[in-house]
Amino acid sequence: MGRESTERPNYEILALVTLQKERVLGGKQLTLLAQDEEQQKTMVQDIAKAMKADVVKMKNGDYLVLRI
Amino acid sequence: MKDGLISTEHIIMIVTATIIGTLARVLTIKEDFRQYPSYPNGYMLHLVTGFVAAALGAFAIPALMTKNFTAVTFLTVAIQQFRDVRKSERESLKDLENTEYAFRGDAYIDGIAKTFESRNYFSLIVAFVTALTMQMIDSNILWVNIVIGSIVGIIVLYILKRFSKGKTIGDIAEVKIGTIEIKESELFVDGIYVSNLLGSDNASKMFQTEGLAVVIYPHEDHYRVALDNYGQRQAALFEATRTLGVKRYHFTRKEYEKGIIVITLVPIIKDIDKLVEAVKKTPLLESVKKSHAVMDTNLVGRE
Repeated sequence: MGRESTERPNYEILALVTLQKERVLGGKQLTLLAQDEEQQKTMVQDIAKAMKADVVKMKNGDYLVLRI
Repeated sequence: MKDGLISTEHIIMIVTATIIGTLARVLTIKEDFRQYPSYPNGYMLHLVTGFVAAALGAFAIPALMTKNFTAVTFLTVAIQQFRDVRKSERESLKDLENTEYAFRGDAYIDGIAKTFESRNYFSLIVAFVTALTMQMIDSNILWVNIVIGSIVGIIVLYILKRFSKGKTIGDIAEVKIGTIEIKESELFVDGIYVSNLLGSDNASKMFQTEGLAVVIYPHEDHYRVALDNYGQRQAALFEATRTLGVKRYHFTRKEYEKGIIVITLVPIIKDIDKLVEAVKKTPLLESVKKSHAVMDTNLVGRE
C-alpha cells in the first residue's frame, strides 16, 4: 500500500519466531527459535497476548509479532 | 434619564431576534450530533455560544438606529469569539484522538471545527436579518413585526442550511456489502487484498465469523480524487467504527486500478446495514473537494 504523507503508522516489530536456526539473527526485535510448528504458534500467541500485539504469518513459515 | 434608556420597540426587536437566532443554533445542532464530542455538556456549550452570537446579531440594528455607530464594532468581537469556537473544538477533538476506536484524522477534525464555527454565523445572520426585517416593517401592530421578522429569519435559516449542507460519500459512490475471505492468514474483501495481520488462528477465525466489510465504488472516475484521499478514508473508517464499535481489528484499503475502497472491521454490534449507512453518510470533507461536481451546493435542487 502506498504511503500518503499524512499516514505514518508506527509499526514496531516485537518478535520473530522461526523454526530455522540460521534465521536467528541480531536486531532490535526478539528472535526466538521454536522446536516445531505447534510450539511456534504457542510462543507467538503468548507474546502477542502479553504485548497486545498482532501476528503476521510470513510465507516462509516464520511468525512476526508486531504492534501498530 | 429616560432618553438614555432603550425603547420598548428595540427591546422587543432584540429579544425576538435573539430568540430566533438561538433557535437557529438549536435546529442546526441536531444535525451535528453524530460528530459531537460530548453530550450533554458539549451540547450546552454550543447552545450558549449560539445564544451569544444571536444576541450580537440582534444588537446591531438597535445600535445603528440609536446612532451608536461605534457599538457596531463589537461584531469584530463576534468574529474573534467564533474563531475561538473553532479553535476550542479542534483542540477538544484532537485531545480525544487517542481514546477513539479509530483516528478521526486531521482533515475530518478541521471540517468539524469549521462547521461549528459557521453554525455560529448562522445564529448571527439569522438574528441580524430578523432585527433588520422588524425595523423595516416598522408596523404599529407589534405582533406583525414579530411574526414577519420571525418568518424572514426562519427562511434565511433554511437557505443557509441548504447552502452549507455538504455532500456525503453516498452521493458520489455506491457502498456495497463486501465478502470476507481469508486465504492463508491474509484477509481479502471481494478479492481485494486488505491485510496480513491475521497471522494467528484466533484472529483468522474471529474475522471469518464476526468480521464485516463494505466496499465503496465511485460513480465516476474523477470522484476518486476525493475518495482516495487518506483523510476521507480515515473519516469513513472513523464513522464505521464509531457506529458499530470495534471488538478487534479495523482496516481500510484502496484498490488502485478501479479506485475501490474497502472498509472492514470486527464490530461489537454486528449490523451490516448500519455499517453501510454509516459509510454512506460520512461527510465529504471540505478539504478534499477538488472537483466542481462535489463542490456544488444544495442551494437549489434536492436537499
